[in-house]
Amino acid sequence: MPKHTTTSGGAARVPEHITTTNGARHVPQVAMSSMSTLATRTGSWKYQYPAYHDRVAPCNAGCPVGIDIEGYMNLLREGRVDEARDLLLAENPLPAVTGRVCHHPCENQCNRRALDEAVAIHAVERAMGDLAHQRPAPVFRSALRPERVAVVGSGPAGLACAYHLARFGYGVTVYEAAPAPGGMLRLGIPEYRLPRDVLDRDIARVAAHGAEIKCGVRIGRDISWDDLHRTFDAIFVAVGAHASRALGVPGEDLPGVRPGLAFLREVNLGGRPDLGRHVVVVGGGNTAMDCARSAMRLGARVTVVYRRTRDEMPAIREEVEDAMREGAEFVFLANPLAFTSAAGRVDAIVCERMALGEPDASGRRRPMPTGERFTVYADTVLSAIGESTALDGFYPDVQGSASGLEVDALGGTSRDLLYAGGDVTDLERTVADALGAGKRAALGIDRHLRKHHGDTHELNALRFGEGNLSAARWLRRDPIRRTDPINQVVGVDDLNFTQYQRVRRHADPHLPSGSAVTGFDEVNAGLTASEAMDEAKRCLNCGVCTECDVCLIFCPDAAITHAEGGAYVIALDYCKGCGICAAECPRGAITMTQDRP
Amino acid sequence: MSQLRINELIPEGRLLASGHLACPGCAAPLAMKLALNALGANTIVVMPACCYTIIAGPWPQSSLQVPVFHTAFATGPAVASGIRAALDTQGKFDTTVLVWVGDGGTFDIGLQSLSGAAERNENILYVCYDNEAYMNTGIQRSSATPWGAWTTTTPAQFPEASNKKDILAIMAAHNIPYAATATPAYPVDFIAKVNKAKAMRGTRFIHLLSPCPPGWKCGDDEGLELARMAVQSRVFPMVEVEDGQHWRVTMEHAGDPVEPYLRRQGRFRHLSGEQVTHIQREITARWESLQRRAQAEPLVPAGAM
Amino acid sequence: MKKVMVGNHAVAWGVRLARVEVISAYPITPQTQVVEKLSEMCADGTLPARFIKVESEHSAMAAVIGASATGVRAFTASSSHGLLYMHEMLHWAGGARLPIVMVDVNRAVGAPWNIWTDQNDSLSQRDTGWVQLYCETNQEVVDTTIMAFKLAETLDVPVMLMLDGFYLSHTAEPVDVPDQEMVDRFLPKRAASYKLDVESPHAFGALVKPDAYMEMRFLQQEALQQVPQTLAAIEKDWQRMFGRSYGALEAYRADDAELLLVTSGTVTSTARAVVDARRAAGERVGLLKMKMFRPFPTALLRDALRGVPRVAVLDRNISPGHGGIFAEELRSALYDIPDAERPELFGFVLGLGGRDITPAVIDEVIEKTRAGVVPSREDLWVGVNP
Ligand SMILES: Cc1cc2nc3c(=O)[nH]c(=O)nc-3n(C[C@H](O)[C@H](O)[C@H](O)COP(=O)(O)OP(=O)(O)OC[C@H]3O[C@@H](n4cnc5c(N)ncnc54)[C@H](O)[C@@H]3O)c2cc1C
Ligand SMILES: Cc1ncc(C[n+]2csc(CCOP(=O)(O)OP(=O)(O)O)c2C)c(N)n1
Ligand code: SF4
Ligand code: SF4
Ligand code: SF4
Ligand code: SF4
Ligand SMILES: [Mg+2]
Repeated sequence: MPKHTTTSGGAARVPEHITTTNGARHVPQVAMSSMSTLATRTGSWKYQYPAYHDRVAPCNAGCPVGIDIEGYMNLLREGRVDEARDLLLAENPLPAVTGRVCHHPCENQCNRRALDEAVAIHAVERAMGDLAHQRPAPVFRSALRPERVAVVGSGPAGLACAYHLARFGYGVTVYEAAPAPGGMLRLGIPEYRLPRDVLDRDIARVAAHGAEIKCGVRIGRDISWDDLHRTFDAIFVAVGAHASRALGVPGEDLPGVRPGLAFLREVNLGGRPDLGRHVVVVGGGNTAMDCARSAMRLGARVTVVYRRTRDEMPAIREEVEDAMREGAEFVFLANPLAFTSAAGRVDAIVCERMALGEPDASGRRRPMPTGERFTVYADTVLSAIGESTALDGFYPDVQGSASGLEVDALGGTSRDLLYAGGDVTDLERTVADALGAGKRAALGIDRHLRKHHGDTHELNALRFGEGNLSAARWLRRDPIRRTDPINQVVGVDDLNFTQYQRVRRHADPHLPSGSAVTGFDEVNAGLTASEAMDEAKRCLNCGVCTECDVCLIFCPDAAITHAEGGAYVIALDYCKGCGICAAECPRGAITMTQDRP
Repeated sequence: MSQLRINELIPEGRLLASGHLACPGCAAPLAMKLALNALGANTIVVMPACCYTIIAGPWPQSSLQVPVFHTAFATGPAVASGIRAALDTQGKFDTTVLVWVGDGGTFDIGLQSLSGAAERNENILYVCYDNEAYMNTGIQRSSATPWGAWTTTTPAQFPEASNKKDILAIMAAHNIPYAATATPAYPVDFIAKVNKAKAMRGTRFIHLLSPCPPGWKCGDDEGLELARMAVQSRVFPMVEVEDGQHWRVTMEHAGDPVEPYLRRQGRFRHLSGEQVTHIQREITARWESLQRRAQAEPLVPAGAM
Repeated sequence: MKKVMVGNHAVAWGVRLARVEVISAYPITPQTQVVEKLSEMCADGTLPARFIKVESEHSAMAAVIGASATGVRAFTASSSHGLLYMHEMLHWAGGARLPIVMVDVNRAVGAPWNIWTDQNDSLSQRDTGWVQLYCETNQEVVDTTIMAFKLAETLDVPVMLMLDGFYLSHTAEPVDVPDQEMVDRFLPKRAASYKLDVESPHAFGALVKPDAYMEMRFLQQEALQQVPQTLAAIEKDWQRMFGRSYGALEAYRADDAELLLVTSGTVTSTARAVVDARRAAGERVGLLKMKMFRPFPTALLRDALRGVPRVAVLDRNISPGHGGIFAEELRSALYDIPDAERPELFGFVLGLGGRDITPAVIDEVIEKTRAGVVPSREDLWVGVNP
C-alpha cells in the first residue's frame, strides 16, 4: 500500500479553466483574475510541519502477549477478517483461550474509556479465536532451520515458545509431565471457563505448525536436564508453579483440608469428589474462585474466607463477580488461625477478624489483626493462597529466588542457551504473561541461533511502546500500512473525540446463574460473530491512520489531497503549519514537527 | 460505526485553491471550502470588504474557482440582488448567488442592505462568517463582539460593554424561508444546512461562527475546538428557523460550563470570576428563551406525529 | 410617434426603448416620476425588465453594478442626496468599468433642505469616473438616454445624464418617440466583453497592488478620453437614422461673436432667446452649450473659444470656497492658449437652489461681462442679495 507523503517545490497546479498570464505583464482594464492562487507558495509561512506518523495504541502496549490489537481491529473494520485472524495468530497461538481467561489488562489501557467504555477486546479476540477454529489460518513457517529446541512444559509459555519457534523454522519438541498438554489451562482452569474442546483446538494449532508434543515425560526424572542440553541446541524452561503454598496453621493436615490446586486438578481430569455440604475456600485469587465455583458445581455451599477486602482480591474481577452471582458467600477480613476437627475430620476454621492498615509492598493495604475471633464451619477446606515453583533436579547455578528464575528481556537465564518463561520465572503469573514470555524467548533463541546480535534500538522497533515484542514485525509480515511509525503510545489527550459517537459495549452474555452451577458448561456464552464485528468497530484505532479523510476535510488550506493509490499527500508548498490536521485527526496519527520532513 | 463517516456526508470538491492568504488556522477558508463543495461550480460569490477580500487572493489570482465579485463593504446583498436579477433575465435560475460577508458587513454596515434584500426575499444565499470583530482592519469591535471581549477598540480595562446582537432573530423576523447558525467545526451540520438552503428559493441566511486565531488570541490549531466549545456551552447554539416561524435546535448541546471556553482565549483573559458568572447567567437565559421558541414553534406540529 | 411628456417620462421612454434588463432605483424628488413610470412599465410588461426596489440609493447603485457585472443592461436614476448617497458605488462602477447608465435629475443639496434644481449634486460626482451629459430638452433626454447606452457599452464606462429638476423633469414638451425597431438596430442587445459567468470563472475587483493599480486608472483615463470622438460617431449614426443630433458642445449663433455665453442644461434655452434678441439688436452675442462635462471636452472647447474676446460662463453650481465649477474648469482648459487668442473669461454663479434664471438675469450677465467688471471673489454672483 502506498504511504502518505508530502510534496514541495513542484510546479503550481493550475486548474485548466484558469489561464495564466504566462508571466507576461499585461494589465487588463479591469481587475479580472486570470490564475489561481497556486502561484503563491504560502507554505513558506510555516514554522512547523505536519507529518503522518502512525503511533502505538495503548492496548497494544498494555497486552502482555504483545498482540497488535489495534491492527486486527483495523483489519476487521475494513472487513478483512482473514487478515485480522492471521495478524492475531501471528502474535498469539491461543486466542480462543486468552479470549476466555485472560484478565485483559489491554482493556484497562483502552482510550475508549474516556469516551464511554473500553472496547471488549477479549470478546472480539475470543470470537476471532473461535472463528479460526472454523476457518483455520494457513500454517506459516519461515525457511526451515537446522537447529532443534526443547521446550519443557506445555503450559501457555511453553506452547507459545514452541509455536513461534516453529514459525521461525525450528524443529521443536515439547516435553510435558502430565498426560495431556496445556499446563494450568487444563489442570487449573475449570471447564466452565475454558471448554476442553476449545483448548484442544488451540493446542492443535501449535502442533499443526510442526511442534512435537510429548506428554508423560518429566524432565529431571525421565530425561536429565544435561541429556536434554546435549540433544538440543537450546532449551526453554516453562514448568510453571505447581506447588500449593501451605497456610502454616495448626490442623492443616487434617483430613478434609486440601490444597485447592490438587482439588482442581482432580476435577479437571474428570474426578467428581464428595466435598460434603459446606466448603470453605481460603484465598482471594483465581485459584480460590475456581475452587469455589467448582465446589458449588459439585453441590456444596461455599464460603470464601479472605484476609483483605474485595478491592484487594487478586482474582480477575469478572471471576469474583461470577462467583458471587453463582452464590458463593464471602467473608472478608478474616484470617485462619487454626482448623478444628470432629470425628478425625476438619469441622471448622477459627478465624481472626482483620482490619486494613498501611499499604504493603504490593500496594495493597496490609491486613492487621484485631484480636477478634470467630468460627466458620466446614466439611471441606480448600486452601488457595498461592502457588510456588518446584524445580527438583534443576541446575542449581541458574539464578533465581523464591519467587522464580531470573530472566533477561528475551527470556535468557544466567546459563547460555537456557531460556525460561511463565510462572517459573519471577514475573507476572497470568496466561497472557506466559504467552508473552514464550514469544520473547522464541525471539531470543532465534536471534541467538542466527548469531543475530542487533542492538536494542532494533528490538525497540519491534515493541509496542514499552510493551511486548511483535513477532509479525520480526518476520516482517505486518499487513497494516504504517506511515513512518513512531514507537510512542497514543494517550487520550492525543485523540480527538469529536468524530466519535458513543456506542454501548457489547457485554459478555452469561448463562443464568441458577442453571450454571448445575454443571460444567461454559458460563460465558461470548459474542456472536456479528456482535464481535460491531464491537471491533467500536475501536478508535488509536494512533494508526485509517484514511478517514478528516485531516483532508479540515485543512483550511486545501493542502491535503488524495494521491493516486489512496494515500494522502500534504503539499508543503501551501501548508501553513497551522496544526489543525493534527488536532482534528481523531486518532493522533499526525504529528507536528519542527523538522522539515 | 463508532466514527462518524463524515467523508461520506461531505461532498468532495476542488473549488478552493491552496495559496490563499488566510492566517494559519483561520476557519473562514475552511468554511468556504465546505460551502463551495456543497454548492458546486454553478455559484457566483459576492464579496464585500472583509478579511476574505484579502484571503481570496490579490489580482491576478483568485483562490475561488467560481466567479467572484468584490464589492464595497455595505453592499453584498444589493449587489447580489442585481446579479440575481441579471441571471434570471438570462434564464440562469439554477445558479446560486452566494454572498460571503463578515460580521461587520452583516451586523453593522451592511445590515440595511441585508434587511432590504431579505424583505424582498431575494433569491440569494447569504453566509456571514462571524469572527466577532473587524479583523481585516486589525481586530476592532463590531456589534457581533461578545460582552466582555477585548478588541483594539475595547481595551482589556474597558472591554466590550454590549451584548452580541441577535442577528438570527433579526433575520428570522424577516420571515425569510431559511435562517440558521452553523460552524465549520461541525462540517456535517454545516453542509446539511447549506444543502437545505440550496434547495430553497428566496433569501437564505447562514450565520457561521468562524474562529480567528489572531483575533481570539488562541493557538492556530485551537479554533475549531473552541467553536465546538462555543456550541456545546451554548454560547453559540446550532439553530435553524424556517419561514421565520419554526425554530429548531439542530444538535444536542451538552451545556458545558462557559468558563473553559473563555479561559482558552486571550481576548477573554482579563475577565474576573464574577464576569464569567455573569456571562454564564446570560447564556442560560438566552438558552431558555431559545428553548421556549423551539418548543413554541415545533417543526412538526404536535398532533401530526 | 409624437408624444407630449414631462422630462421624467422622457427618461422612462429612453430606458424602455433601450430595452434595459435590470433597473434598481429609489425615489427622491424630483426624480420620483422616473421610478414610478418605470415601475408601471415593468408591471404592465411594456418594459420586460426586473425592477429591484431597494431600500436606498447606495443599494440601488450596488444592485445595478451587480446586474451590469453579470452582463446585462442596467439603469438607475436619482437626485441630490440620493446621488450623494451613491457616491461610494459611483466610484465602484467607474473603476469596475461597468456600462451603467443613470439619470440624475439635478437638485440642490442640503442643508438646508431644498428640492429645486442646481448642479451641485452631479458636479460633486465629477471624479467618480462617469461620463456626464447635461440635457436641455425632453427630446434630447430620450435620444441621449439611448445613445448613452451605446456610448457606455462601446467604451466600458458608466454614463450619467442630467436634467434640471422641475424645469425639465416636470415640464411637458412634445417628444418624437423613436421607433423601437430602429432603436433596436441602433442599439442591439449588450454583448459584454467580460462578465460574471460560471462557465468562465473569474474574480473581479480583488486587491490590486501599486504595481498595476495605476495602469488600470490609466486605461480608464484613456477610455474616457475617447468619449468625445466616440459620442460624435454615435451621434452621426443617430442623426442618420433619426435626423437629430446634439454634440458634446453646441455653438449657437457663435460666429464672429464678441461675447459668448457658456451654458448647460435648461438655462440654455433661456439664453438662446436672449441671444436671439441681442442678435436682432445687432449685437455680436453668441452661445456655447456644454452638454458634456465629463470627460471635460478640453480640445473642443479650445477650438470653440479660441479668439473669442469675452466669454461669460453661467454656473448653476458652486464649489464653495472656490467658484463656479464650469468656469473654474474652463479657465484651466484655456490656460495654454496663447495670450493673444485667449478669451477673457467671466464666471457667474446663479440660479442656485432653483432660483429662476430669467432673461433679465442673463442680460445682467452680458452687461457685466461687457463692462469687464472684475469679480470681487473668484466669480460674480448674480441676483444675490447679500
Ligand atoms: C486455578 C488457576 C486459575 C487460573 N486462572 C487464570 C486466569 O483465569 N487467567 C490467567 O491469566 N491466569 C490464570 N491462572 C494463571 C495461569 O494459569 C498461569 O500463569 C499460566 O498457566 C502459567 O503458564 P506456564 O506455561 O508458565 O505454566 P503452566 O501453565 O503451569 O504449565 C507448566 C507445565 O509444565 C509441566 N511440567 C512441570 N514440570 C515439568 C517437568 N519437569 N517436565 C515436563 N513438564 C513439566 C506441567 O505439568 C505443566 O503442564 C490461573 C492459575 C490457576 C492455578
Ligand atoms: C465603507 C467602509 N468602511 C470601512 C471600511 C474598512 N473595513 C474594511 S473590512 C472592515 C472590517 C470587516 O469586518 P468584518 O465584516 O467583521 O470582516 P472580517 O474582516 O472580520 O472578516 C472594515 C472596517 C471599508 N472597506 N469600507
Ligand atoms: S480504542 Fe482500540 S486501539 Fe484504542 S486502546 Fe481501545 S482497543 Fe486499543
Ligand atoms: S485524520 Fe483520518 S485520514 Fe487523517 S491521519 Fe488521522 S486517521 Fe488518517
Ligand atoms: S491543516 Fe493543512 S495547513 Fe494546517 S498543518 Fe495541516 S496540512 Fe498544513
Ligand atoms: S485575521 Fe482572522 S479572520 Fe482574518 S484571515 Fe486571519 S484568522 Fe482569518
Ligand atoms: Mg469579523
